[in-house]
Amino acid sequence: MRKLAQLLETRQISSTEVVEHYLSEITKQEPILNAFITVDAEGALAQARASDLRRQQGMALSPWDGIPIAVKDNISTKGLKTTCASRFLANYVPLFDATVVSTLKNSGLPIVGKTNLDEFAMGSSTEYSAYGVTRNPHDYERVSGGSSGGSAAAVAAGEIPWSLGTDTGGSIRQPASFCGVVGLKPTYGWVSRYGVVALAPSLDQVGPLAKTVEDAAILFSLLAAPDAMDATSADARAFPVPDWDESFIKGLKIGVPEEFFGDGIKPEVERAVTDSLEFLAGQGAELVPISLATNEYAIDTYLTLVTAEASSSLARYDGVRYGVRVPAEDSNTMFAKSRSAGFGSEVKRRIMLGTYVLSARHYGAYYEQAQKVRTLIRQDVLAAFQQVDVIITPTTPSAAFRIGAKQSPLEMYLSDLFTAMANLSGIPALSVPCGKDARGLPLGLQIMGSHFQEELLFKVAYLVEKYVGVEGGTFSDKL
Amino acid sequence: MIDRQEVIRMAKLARLELSDREIEQYQKDLTSFLSSGKKLQQVDVSAVEGTSHAVSLTHELRKDEVGASLSQADTLSAAPEAVDGFFKVPRIVEEQE
Repeated sequence: MRKLAQLLETRQISSTEVVEHYLSEITKQEPILNAFITVDAEGALAQARASDLRRQQGMALSPWDGIPIAVKDNISTKGLKTTCASRFLANYVPLFDATVVSTLKNSGLPIVGKTNLDEFAMGSSTEYSAYGVTRNPHDYERVSGGSSGGSAAAVAAGEIPWSLGTDTGGSIRQPASFCGVVGLKPTYGWVSRYGVVALAPSLDQVGPLAKTVEDAAILFSLLAAPDAMDATSADARAFPVPDWDESFIKGLKIGVPEEFFGDGIKPEVERAVTDSLEFLAGQGAELVPISLATNEYAIDTYLTLVTAEASSSLARYDGVRYGVRVPAEDSNTMFAKSRSAGFGSEVKRRIMLGTYVLSARHYGAYYEQAQKVRTLIRQDVLAAFQQVDVIITPTTPSAAFRIGAKQSPLEMYLSDLFTAMANLSGIPALSVPCGKDARGLPLGLQIMGSHFQEELLFKVAYLVEKYVGVEGGTFSDKL
Repeated sequence: MIDRQEVIRMAKLARLELSDREIEQYQKDLTSFLSSGKKLQQVDVSAVEGTSHAVSLTHELRKDEVGASLSQADTLSAAPEAVDGFFKVPRIVEEQE
């Protein structure tokens, strides 16, 4: 992105030309890919022309002024439809921007459109989108992952240089891994959630997806800021883009948890991750075998909490102020009919599970118990960071699966096996491509760090990327 | 197996109207979810408090100052039904005899 920014600054290329390039990629690829729910060509071009004018006047809002971006469709954009991939919000147009969207606009980034996801971010494949599945650019018969599948696929296919996703249990990292791009789930609280449609407020975070580690770091540097509109916003410093000095790797302690390797993991995944680990060791890092025994409970804890929070978050969709309304004689019937008509099957399933674990009779045994197990998981993770600087694991147990392959909900939930732990403990975690399997499908490696250690994650990822290479290059490479 | 009545009760609490087929499906899903979650209940948590948020934070409250807000017309613009500046809903309270 630095090169593109420089070309824009020296006016060898205009933002209008850049946006036109990406719009033509979108026109060409969308009929198959389906990464976008809404494309706002007119709006993006207007923003690009405004950017060009600013550049002419030497008034650029940031070094990235004029570089377009796409935003996951569960993040509010004023005047631009935000559907959450749900029939319930098919015509919903927000009256305000999410803080992260204001940030993009204040940095001069034209927003080209809204990307596909599993309905209300509930899923791991975008198969639960009311607007159809997003195909994987590396193999159209396979899923792009989810829930931020549209954001990952659009970047991987070169429809957009970077994008925003959200991650509640792995929803940025798993699609990043499946599509061969970089994705970060930041430390809880470092990025504002204001205007982001809630799935599970104690776990949700917005983060960047990009083709390269540096681009993801640049985008994160824009997003990481305190926000008075978000009561859970961390009182944190700004995040400067790291210098890419490599001497830090000497003596860096990398934890390798035994629970994330071996049984249940595709050998090709394990081989690719191990290969990168050996490379890092060759650069001077120390590999430390560790144990994260509580990961055994991560999925069940996560599911209990995410369904409970979701059933509560989605209570607001009642057909009164916006969204679907099915008329009825009395209010309760109207609520029930509207919700039932507007929600898809996975959303109803999670609301049912969440209602069950929160109901008076079962609250102690399920919800309260899960909150306590969450404490044990968090303690386990933090104890590990007393021993090591970062932890490296596969992002997912396998490469992208075939569309329609996961038949049962529980099977789908297992997609988050390696990623949910970071959300439960609030730590940052990043997925970076680390190779391909025999079919040519991308594989991802996950780097986890202690709270606010994003810089270290990016620096380690930068080395892995240098070792593995960037698939297909970027648009600005070709200029 | 979670019984049918329990599923119907949950649906009522959640304000969902389910078809017979959905009730049957969620009976199965709830049952398999709960049996998978059984192992959580064997974890000894006697020494810990629950975590409701991953990062311990004190909720920051903004100063209670009047700022810009949405106009009534904007607020009502997406309403399925609005009348005289209000959201319109079906009757909630029964008329007294």
